[in-house]
Formats: sequence, structure tokens, C-alpha cells
Amino acid sequence: MSNETLVSVENLGVRFAVKRGGGWGKASYLYAVDDVSFEIKRGETLAIVGESGSGKTTTALAVARLVEAYQGKVNLDGTDFLSLDDEASRLARAKMQFIFQDPYSSLNPRLRAEQIVREPLDSLSTMDEAEKKEIVDRLFAEVGLRPEQQRLFPHQFSGGQRQRIGIARALATQPDLIICDEAVSALDVAVQAQILNLLRKLQADLNLTYLFISHDLGVVQHMCDSIAVMYMGRVVEHGTRMDLFNNPLHPYTSALLSAVPSVDKARREATKRILIPGDPPDPVNLPAGCRFANRCPVAQDICRSQDPALRDVKGGHKVACHLVGEDAVSPL
Amino acid sequence: MTDSPLIPKEEIPEARHPFAEAWEMFRRNHAAMVALVVLILIILAAIVGPYLYPVDPFDMVWAPFSPPGADGFLLGTDYLGRDLLAALIHGARVSIVIGLAAAVVSVVIGVTVGALAGFYRGWVEELLMRITEFFQVLPTLLFSMVIVALFGASLPMITFAIGVVSWTAVARITRSEFLRIRELEYVTASRASGAKNGKLMFRVILPNALPPIIVQAALMVGSAILFEAGLSFLGLTDPNVVSWGQVIGSNRQYILDASFTVTIPGLAIFVTVLCISLVGDGLNDALNPKLRQR
Repeated sequence: MSNETLVSVENLGVRFAVKRGGGWGKASYLYAVDDVSFEIKRGETLAIVGESGSGKTTTALAVARLVEAYQGKVNLDGTDFLSLDDEASRLARAKMQFIFQDPYSSLNPRLRAEQIVREPLDSLSTMDEAEKKEIVDRLFAEVGLRPEQQRLFPHQFSGGQRQRIGIARALATQPDLIICDEAVSALDVAVQAQILNLLRKLQADLNLTYLFISHDLGVVQHMCDSIAVMYMGRVVEHGTRMDLFNNPLHPYTSALLSAVPSVDKARREATKRILIPGDPPDPVNLPAGCRFANRCPVAQDICRSQDPALRDVKGGHKVACHLVGEDAVSPL
Repeated sequence: MTDSPLIPKEEIPEARHPFAEAWEMFRRNHAAMVALVVLILIILAAIVGPYLYPVDPFDMVWAPFSPPGADGFLLGTDYLGRDLLAALIHGARVSIVIGLAAAVVSVVIGVTVGALAGFYRGWVEELLMRITEFFQVLPTLLFSMVIVALFGASLPMITFAIGVVSWTAVARITRSEFLRIRELEYVTASRASGAKNGKLMFRVILPNALPPIIVQAALMVGSAILFEAGLSFLGLTDPNVVSWGQVIGSNRQYILDASFTVTIPGLAIFVTVLCISLVGDGLNDALNPKLRQR
């Protein structure tokens, strides 16, 4: 694989104004995504994992400019996607496509499958009908759907088939980057495997780059080259798959990994479940120190007073924790 | 084309448009089907009636107050000896055309306002909804009477007057549907596929917002017919065309002596509006199946 960086996200931030108690009071902000940075190399997959409310989906939407970021850059192939004007960013969408979580609500019920797959071409290309038809035919074959199914409406497909339509739509404009937002979590396990294998096959065939949003670490382990762990809008740990699975440094990452169920009895007994008590803090009134401090089993005084920065501890393995030293050993 | 191993060949269902299923549902509603047939007959009568029964409704053809069936006049004659059947047939044209045209006017205004408000949110929504509320609190009959009185009682002006006072319901329904649908993933997916705002509004969201708007529009045809009848009963109508309300209005002094001159056009209005309402209800059940179990 090449070493060329396709996407680099710098200091991305998304905030939502929230009014508490109604009335005319000053709005405070919920920082759904706070200073998030990462890079993805061409042809590789970065997974963003985290619990519900950690900001991973908002990050994905902000990268694709489907929610407005108040700060940060998304460099795609050298140009900052977020600083383009409306029309330029609309045209740039051809290079960056999205696969959605829910295959039942992500397809327009009034359109035939073939119209859904053709939609990006209608909006973004200047091809004539015959060329579009040819591409749609090829895409249906690529994602494993039959040509006769082009005439059907979304409600006539199963969940897995619908997700294949969603994938075909994302491939239509030959994008470099595909953002998969929980692309398989709404499917049952057998179908998940089919779709994941399809995604991997397409990645190999078309040299695609994936930004893969998931809360399912089993899926992540199967799919990706590197992982960013998010908690409360921040990236708390970022490294290769090997780094994270073999040597998780942030206590939150360790807890997440220890929660992965395993059918292997020996492995199950070898891993100690790390329980994290309590709930995440109020996202509007964040604590002064580390956002994980109130649930962290090893939190010290410094954790409650100072916000740890994300820093490189070992050859690209980054972590935001005061207790991880230069030796890159987990504090647990 | 390669054969996919995942999908067995025989299981390809027939492609069915969502509206085809709605028609299936509608057909099972007997009341609505009967109403639809009656409505089609009324419309046919309005279209071809004047050719099959070429009597001028303004001609005094016989003695006044000739009862229905007597002297060869199926529905009798009015206080000036004019043929009531001819009046009904010609009046149907006016009533139906005004009903449809007023519904079109209010759908066009209402959908535009509701779509812009629901799609853009923010100050656009605030402004448009305040304007909508302004029109909602106006006394509708009075306001349309003022318009007709000021600008003259021509058919286009009556249509406009009715449309202008009845678009608010459409605007609110459209806005609420837009607010709901704009958050669905397929709208985001369209945006991610490079769709412009105009396409999102009118090609993606609007077709999915149509069912309740269609129902509202159908019911509005009925209320516009009633509205027109009310205006022409009060004399605010084009004196050169016959309409059902006008027939009632001009014969109202003789209601005790020759009640049929009032009840017959009244029945025509009643049956037409009832049929439109039944069809509207049938459409509602067929297009919004989730709302049926109430």
C-alpha cells in the first residue's frame, strides 16, 4: 500500500447551541466534536470507535460537510473541503461518499433502486443517459444485485440488499473516500459478514479509503488498519490496529476492549473485565480536567484539574492520558 | 451480467409503485368507491350535460314554480320560469371549476410557503409562519367578501379570494411534513450525493410529503364549493354565470311556497361535497395506512 495521505482532518470542531431552562438566556454550547485530528492513508481504513454520544457520527457528518463545523480543516487530496464555497463543495462530493447506518431510512421510498443508485450521477456528472445506465448496470453487478432488481422499490428489498443499494450509490461517482457510518450495525450478524466482506473486496478492487464509524470492536478488528477511540467529543487514543488491540494505553480503551465478548473460554478467562462505573459527564458543563476522570479506575489529582492533550507516545501511537509515560505502558 | 449466488432467481417480485398499493387500499373502501363513481358522474354531467340537454339556464321557458316532473321539466322551474335542470348542469361546471381552481391556488401558495419554512428553518420559518398565522386569524368569509366586493365578482377573482383564505392549512401540513422528512437519512444521502437545495425540496422531500397534502387538497375542493355557494348566495358572484349557490340565493324568498327550488340545488351541493369528503377520507386511509388504527 502507498504511503500517501489521502485525508487529513485538523482540529475539527462541531458545536450545537443549547438553551437551558428556556427563555432569553445566553446559549451555551455542546461541543459534540472537540479538536479532533486524524489522517487516513490512501487505500487504508480508519475506524472511529466510541460509545453512543461520543461524537463519532457527528465527526463523520462534519468531515462530509453534512453538519457545519465551526473550526478545523478537512484536507482531501490537498484541498480543504470545508473552506470551499457551496457550489465547489457540492461538486467535490463526488470524491467523498457516505454509507448510512439505517438501510431502511437511507433510501428514498419513492424511487426505484436504479434511480437511487443513479442519483449521484444525475447531480454531479455530465454523462448522457446511456453512460449512466452502463455505470448503474456495472454497480449492481459489483455489489451483488441482479439486473432485474433495478426496477424495484426500496420496500421490496431486505435489509442487506438495501445496504448493497446504498453501497452502489456511494460508489457511483468513483469516490476516493467512503465514510461508513455504522454501516452494518442495523443488520443481523450473518448479513453483517456479507456486507463487510463486500466492503473489503471493493476496497481491494477499487483502492478505496474508508472512514469507518462503529461501536462494534469485533467489526472494527475485521475491517481496519488504524483506530481512533473517541470519548465525549475528543480522540483519547489513536494508533494502528495492532497498537490498540495489543497495547491499549488509555484506561477507556482498555475498558472498551475488555467488554468485547468472546466465545473462546481461555481468552475470556485471561482478560479481566474492567468495569467503568457511573455515567459520562454533562456534555454542556464539562469538568475541568480529563473528561474520563470521574469514571477512570486509576484517576489521580492531576486528572481532575488538567485536561490531557493527545500526544505521540510511541511511533504514531497517540494517547490523551497523564498517566501514560514515555515507556508507553498502560496505567492500569 | 454475473448471477449473484445470494439471490435465488425466482424471487424477483414485480416492481410496484407505492401509489399502486394505495389504490389497492382505496378500492377496498366501499363508501369511497361509491362516492368516487358519483363524483365522476357529476363531473361527466358538467362536461357533456350542456350538449345533451341544450337548454339555456337563463331562458324563461315555462310558467314559474312548475313542480319537478310536471310539464316535461324534470326538476321543475324557478321563480322566473327558468329550467332548474339546466341551472344544475351549468351550475355544476362553475362549482366544480371553482372548487378545483381554488384548491390549486391554495395548494400552490400553501406548499410554497410550507416548503420554504420547513426546509430553511430559522428566520425564514419565523417570518412565513407569522404571515400564515395572520391569514389564519382573518375571518375567512368576511375577508373573501371584501376581496370580491373590492375587485369585482368575476370567476377568477372569486377563485382567488377562496384560495387566499384557505391556503394556511396546506402550509402548516407541508411545513410539518418537511420538518419531519428533512431529518430522514435519505435526504442527507441526497445532499451527500450532491443534490442542490431546489432538488432536495421539490424532488426529494415534496414527493414524500404529498400524501397528506393530497388529502387536504381533496377536502379543500369540497370546502371551496361550499365557500362559492356561500358567496353566491349572498349575491357576490358573476351575474352572468349560473352557480348552485346563486340558484339557492335567488329563490330563497320562495322557500315556503316552492321549496324544491332551494332544496334541489342544495342537494346538489350536499351530494357533491359529501362525495368529495368521502373520497378524501378514502385517500387518507389509503395514503396514510399508519393512521388508520385510531
